[in-house]
This record gives sequence, structure tokens and C-alpha cells, in this order.
Amino acid sequence: MLQVSDVETAYGKIKALKGVSLSAAKGRITCLLGPNGAGKTTLMYTIAGILRPLRGSIRLDGQEIAGLTSAAIVSRGLALVPENRLVFPQMSVKENLEAGAYRRKDAAGIAEDIARMYARFPRLQERREQLAGTLSGGEQQMLAVARALMSRPRILLMDEPSLGLAPMIVEEVFSIIKSLNRDGVTIFLVEQNAHMALGVAHHFYLMEQGRVTFSGEPGKLAEDEVIQRAYLGTRRASA
Amino acid sequence: MLFIDLLQSIADGLLFGATYSLIGIGFTLVFGVMHKINMAYAAASVAGAYAGLTLLKLAGLPPLLVIIMACLAGAVFGLLTYVLCFWLIPLSHPLATLMSTVGMLLLIDEIVVHLTAGMPVNYPTVMGGMVSLGSFLLRGDLMFIFTIAVLAMAALMYLIYRTRLGLATRAVSQQPVAAQLCGMRLGQVNALTFTISGALGGIAGSLIGSAVGLLSPLLIAPLTVKGLIVTVIGGLGSIPGAIIAGLLVGAAENVFQFVRGVTERDIYVMLLLFVFLVFRPGGILGADPGRN
Ligand SMILES: Nc1ncnc2c1ncn2[C@@H]1O[C@H](COP(=O)(O)OP(=O)(O)OP(=O)(O)O)[C@@H](O)[C@H]1O
Ligand SMILES: [Mg+2]
Repeated sequence: MLQVSDVETAYGKIKALKGVSLSAAKGRITCLLGPNGAGKTTLMYTIAGILRPLRGSIRLDGQEIAGLTSAAIVSRGLALVPENRLVFPQMSVKENLEAGAYRRKDAAGIAEDIARMYARFPRLQERREQLAGTLSGGEQQMLAVARALMSRPRILLMDEPSLGLAPMIVEEVFSIIKSLNRDGVTIFLVEQNAHMALGVAHHFYLMEQGRVTFSGEPGKLAEDEVIQRAYLGTRRASA
Repeated sequence: MLFIDLLQSIADGLLFGATYSLIGIGFTLVFGVMHKINMAYAAASVAGAYAGLTLLKLAGLPPLLVIIMACLAGAVFGLLTYVLCFWLIPLSHPLATLMSTVGMLLLIDEIVVHLTAGMPVNYPTVMGGMVSLGSFLLRGDLMFIFTIAVLAMAALMYLIYRTRLGLATRAVSQQPVAAQLCGMRLGQVNALTFTISGALGGIAGSLIGSAVGLLSPLLIAPLTVKGLIVTVIGGLGSIPGAIIAGLLVGAAENVFQFVRGVTERDIYVMLLLFVFLVFRPGGILGADPGRN
């Protein structure tokens, strides 16, 4: 569904992605692990159209999306739940959801989807008039996910959704990821929490210093090795 | 009698201050979405008032419509400022757009002086008489100005808090990356914001022209300074702050004028600015980052 080939992205002269290739299969949960500074967020922003790649190709259902604006990419059915959630702090929960549906014109469908989000995330309904900046971290994460879903994506990218959340809330976030996937949404997930991530992923990649250095299926290979590399960034002979 | 006169000057100042509120809102709106100061704003507003008058005469319309013409012209000048001073210039260089807007300010000033040979032009006044309100006498033209300014602010509030484009404007000013992820286009929102602030500026310029009874390029410098003062006192990025600060500065300057005379007036306005910068640098309603 999503194919990234040989993508390079730089900040000024410094290349953060040095030729990344990977793919996320339709209907699956694909996970990208890697230590701090590996370039995971850079890759997510490049796919979502916030950053422009220097070279390489990004295909969504076979169509090239590299270099398109984020507005065009959202319209094609790809949404990103960004690192640190980035909710609109001075807007109500409801307005955040409306913002997520910005590219849509079907008022009735939007209202229906907002109701659906409230059903899926009851805590958002309770707080629908509250300013998003005053929500707890967990609630903000739910809101960021719901906002991304408001664009009716076929593929959802999530950048460290468990960041800074208490273990109970992390469990909740992962159960949401699984249930979204059961509903047919393809998921491409970046995580530091390798243990949790490998629990839900069908396939995973390991990224280090701007390159994909390992790819495989959870359980098959020594998870400890992967987790150690994801956390510590230790460089060993390739697995 | 003196007390009544003082109250009278406060009332007049508050009414006239609504035009400062509009100018302050214009600065603040642009700062909100772009985090840049548009130094050409007050100049473009005065130019909008001139262009509005010219359009009115060309089309042979009744004097009251000068405000609408100035609003349209101001919107065009706002968009033009965006294209010339922001869109064409790399935003990553912090000083570049500041310099481009200062250049635009001086350019507009020169063009106005050139086209009018430096002479003031008469501006249509609306409701010249007095309106009595109990024991108060209020200038009809100031009441009119105030009413129009309040209507313009109400329209702006509606646009920002009740429409889809307003949602995008707020989203971009609060969290530009997330706004893009929602499918909002930064360039489009920026252009729209400049157009709207330009329209408000055109209205403010024409209201000032009709209160004074004439337009002169000499209005540009003080209006730029007062617009910035209002923005600072109100808190950069805060629309309600700009509204309150505009009224406050309008009232304060009239009181200073009443107490100390017109030649000393702006000295005290500047002192007021410094008082705010020292004790409340974030403004009345702006986010106060505290002092370090
Ligand atoms: N705006 C920026 N300007 C310059 N360099 C940047 C910028 N953002 C990221 N980088 C650099 O690019 C590299 C990759 O950063 P990125 O944020 O993509 O890593 P990450 O894998 O998401 O890390 P983390 O797990 O900490 O979120 C890092 O070396 C970082 O310093
Ligand atoms: Mg990251």
C-alpha cells in the first residue's frame, strides 16, 4: 500500500535520511523501531508531505506522492498522528476534530464521524467543549488519533503514540491501534516502546542513523537483539 | 466643569480609539499566523483610505460608501504586501521580511506624497452633528466611527470563530505543522490573513480620514507607531487584547492632550508604552513568558 524507496531527506546540508526503503502492507500493522535521532520522525514528515525528500520515491497504492503538499496527501487517504500529538491547544476538542476533517466537504458525514469518534473515545465526548491544551497527555493522544481519523484515512501513520504516557494509558493506546486495524485501517507505527510495538506488529523495521538496518517479523528472530539495538543504538554485526 | 471636560475627552478618545483597535488587530492577526511584524501595515491602511476615496469619486458614489471602497482597496493592498514582502522573500531569514516591510512602508509613503504633491486632501465626514446622551454630548462622527469599527470587529470575530477559513487561520497560528497535516495550506491561510487585515486597515484608514476631515501622508508615521503600541499593550497575537488596548490608547492620548496639550501628547503615549514594556512586556492579554 505504501512503498518508500531510496528516500533521502536533509536539514540544510545534513542528511537525516540516507536512502530509506521500506513498505507497509495493506491491512497490516507495520512498525518502525530505532534509537533517538535515527530519523524516524523525519521519515514520517517526509511521507506526510511536511518535508520534501531530496530524492527517492514514495508511492501510495502505486501513485507517486513524493513532493506533493500535505494537503494533497491527506486528500489521498494518508494521515499522520504526529510525534508529541500537536493538538490545537486553544481550540475545543470538537474544533480539533473539525480541523481534522478540513479537506472534506460533506457536512453530514463529518457530523456522523464526530459522533463515531465520541463513541470510540468517550472521554473526548465528556470534554468536547474543553480546550485541547488543558487535556491530559493521554486524552491529547486520543484526540490526536481521532483528529487524524476525521480525514477518513486508508493508512494511518503514528509517530510514538505512547510517548510520555503512563503504562495503563499505553495499553489503551495499543488496544486502539489493534481495533483500528481490525476495522481495516492500515497502520504504520513508529515506536520506542519496542516491546509493546512488537506485540501488535505484523512486520517491523529497524532504523539506525538514517538507514534501515533490519527488517523482519516479530517472534521469529531474537527480539532481545532488536530491542537492545532500538533502545541503545548499539552497532553490532548485522543480524 | 473641568471634570465634565475630562470625562468628555475620555469618551471622545474611547470612540476614536476603536480605529486604533482595528489597526492593532491587523498587526496581531498577521503576527498570529506568521510570527512576523508587517511594518507596512498602517501605511497600506492609509493608502487604502486614499484609494477608496479615488474609487468613490471615479464611480460617483455617495460619500458614505467611501468606507466600503477603502475596505476593498485595503484588502488588495494587504494581499499585495503579502506577495511582495513575504511570499517572494525567504521566510527563514529573520530580518529579511522585517526589512522588506519597512521598505514597503517607505515606498507607500513616497508614492502617496508624490501623487498628492504632499498636500492633504479633504475626506468625507459622516454625521457631523452632536448626539446628546443624558448630560453628555458626543460627537456624531465619532459615534459613527465607533459603530462601524465595532461592526467590523464583529464580522471579523464571526469569520474567525464561526467559519471554516477562520478555523484554518486559528489552526495555523496555534500549530502550523498539525494544520498542514489536517490539509490546510499555509500560503493560502497567510494570503487570506493579509487580505482580511488589509480590509480592516482600509476601514480604519477611512474612519480616521472622516474623523479628521482630511487625509495626509503625515498620518502614516504616528499611525504605525500607535498600531505597534496597541499591539504591544494588548499582547502580540491577542485580538481581544488589541481591542482593549486600542480603546485604552485612544482614551489615554485624548486625556494627555486635554491635560498637557497636543504638542506633548505623544510624549506621554510613548511613556505609556515603556511602562508596559517594563511591567507587563507580554501585554494585557498576551501569553506572558515572564521576565528573565
Ligand atoms: N529541524 C531540524 N533541523 C536540523 N536537524 C534536525 C531537525 N529535526 C531533526 N534533525 C536531526 O535529524 C536527525 C533525525 O531526527 P529525527 O527527529 O527524525 O529522529 P527520531 O528517530 O524521530 O528520534 P526520536 O526517537 O528522538 O524522536 C537527528 O540527528 C536530528 O538531530
Ligand atoms: Mg521522533
